[in-house]
Amino acid sequence: MSTTTVPSPSHASAAGTHGLSFGGVLRSEWIKFRSLRSTKLLLLFTFVAVVGVGALAAWLRGTIIQSLMTTGSARPEGGVHATTMTLAQAEAAAQAQGINIYGIPNAGLQLGILVLGSLAVLLIASEFGTGMIRSTMTAVPRRLPAFAAKAIVLVVVSYVLTLVAALVTFLISIPILHHYGIDMSFGRDGVVYGIFMGGVYVAGVALIGLSLGTLLRNSAGGIIVLVALFFVLPFGTQLLGLVPGDFWKYVNQYVPSVAGGRMLEVGHKDAFIDPHVGGLLFLAWILVVTIPAVITLKTRDV
Amino acid sequence: MIEAVNLAKHYGPKTAVAGVTFTVKPGQVTGFLGPNGAGKSTTMRMVVGLDRPSAGTVTVNGKHYAEHRDPLHQVGALLDAKAVHTSRSAYNHLLSMAATHNIPASRVNEVIDMTGLAQVAKKKAGGFSLGMGQRLGIAAALLGDPQTLILDEPVNGLDPEGVLWVRNLVKYLAGEGKTVFLSSHLMSEMAQTADHLILIGRGKIIADAPIADILDGGHQTRVRVRTPEASRLAELLGGTGVSIDSSESETLEISGLDARRIAQSALDNRVLVYELTPIMASLEEAYFDLTKDEVEYHSHELSDVASSAPEGR
Repeated sequence: MSTTTVPSPSHASAAGTHGLSFGGVLRSEWIKFRSLRSTKLLLLFTFVAVVGVGALAAWLRGTIIQSLMTTGSARPEGGVHATTMTLAQAEAAAQAQGINIYGIPNAGLQLGILVLGSLAVLLIASEFGTGMIRSTMTAVPRRLPAFAAKAIVLVVVSYVLTLVAALVTFLISIPILHHYGIDMSFGRDGVVYGIFMGGVYVAGVALIGLSLGTLLRNSAGGIIVLVALFFVLPFGTQLLGLVPGDFWKYVNQYVPSVAGGRMLEVGHKDAFIDPHVGGLLFLAWILVVTIPAVITLKTRDV
Repeated sequence: MIEAVNLAKHYGPKTAVAGVTFTVKPGQVTGFLGPNGAGKSTTMRMVVGLDRPSAGTVTVNGKHYAEHRDPLHQVGALLDAKAVHTSRSAYNHLLSMAATHNIPASRVNEVIDMTGLAQVAKKKAGGFSLGMGQRLGIAAALLGDPQTLILDEPVNGLDPEGVLWVRNLVKYLAGEGKTVFLSSHLMSEMAQTADHLILIGRGKIIADAPIADILDGGHQTRVRVRTPEASRLAELLGGTGVSIDSSESETLEISGLDARRIAQSALDNRVLVYELTPIMASLEEAYFDLTKDEVEYHSHELSDVASSAPEGR
């Protein structure tokens, strides 16, 4: 490496004179996002997995409905001669158990939120871990534009990836469901809504992940809290439903994953919050972690 | 131009920087010298707003760093060679920093060439040696062609060629009228690079003066004399205000008399002298002289020093 050359005179024009702009910060965060190979591989894997789980769900739900039509029960019990059902009856019976057809494009979403949520934690926690954050905050000393730019990159990537995965899943599910005599189309109630809303849910989880990474400044810690929030909490609160008393039965639907999941559904369910209420609750959960994250980022030393 | 006024930083009960006031002027290289843990890095981090001062203020080119419209054009900072994502290439690291200020990609290539990173620019920064990491940090600092350059221990881990390069670079930039603020705990390095010196110890400014003044200040110049008649000459020269040491045979180290008067005395008494060398006080000696008092006055706080300010966090 030869560096004995005296530096050539550098003019301000060579380095540009535009100064800091939000567009520039956004472009910077995009460059950072796309310049890590691990991120690209992870997104590809997520896409394949989400579509794969969706296709599997289409097949599974098709068999369940077919079995309902022929035996009148998803799990035929020996000895009892079941009555047959029409397709509409079978679909209604399945839906009563939470097995709906219109939700198939979003069937792989649990995987999506796990990976994209973790990726969001890593997006900022790895900067704290490696020291990159000091470069970022020196270039953007007001700090919040950098956070906002990261959030926008994450929301757009999460939304687009989920939307495309949902569309592909939808297309794949058409021939699979057709095999069982079920008609899957955009005309079906809740399909278009679900395809467009799935990305909103995943983007929201990504925002929560980014905020957790900002608060904890630690990749492992952030991912653990995220998993606890989205995978342990719903399970735990479901067990709470076994505790006598009405109150405990309702706790489960207020946790972020259940409220957020409800946001993707259509129609009324007995003893359950409506989809728009689920959406508002999920938004509240996002704010509960994002606001402290923003305040901490602005005030704490890096 | 960097102006700090009563700038202080406390970490809980520990004081890293205890209310320092200083000005770093453009057109010269200002050295920031002090032992590890003296508060150099913390002070520099406060200049660019990474650490929030507990008290006091610091401005760069007249404004708080964060209030500038174009921070990277105002200040280029190398605070920590590890402020890089280890899985990202050097080129993409610089490109992402440049993008914030709409600095063209051609400037990225320019600083890569300037710092001699062209061969490794597409490699992951995590695999860089300390010296290459340092070059990348300097490249990032130069990216915005800043008016003020802040370099924390820039020669750490550099090979001799790199050290020389940094020395020439900062002198060149200061010559262009830029403000250069350079920290080091290597006094010999400072003696060769800096025009002005700010000495810091235990979070306090000990001295703030042109480097020549610090070398002269309070330290008598000594003269080394070699003569076969050492003891006789010592007797002839002895007197009030003169101290004479003899570390080896035929050699005297004399302070309190200048070389001319020693030569005159030797000539008058027909003593043969075969070496007569004025010895410049080294920066090390000046530094220890200056910090000695600080240590004596505050020796009860010693435990504090050992655990103060996490240097180079």
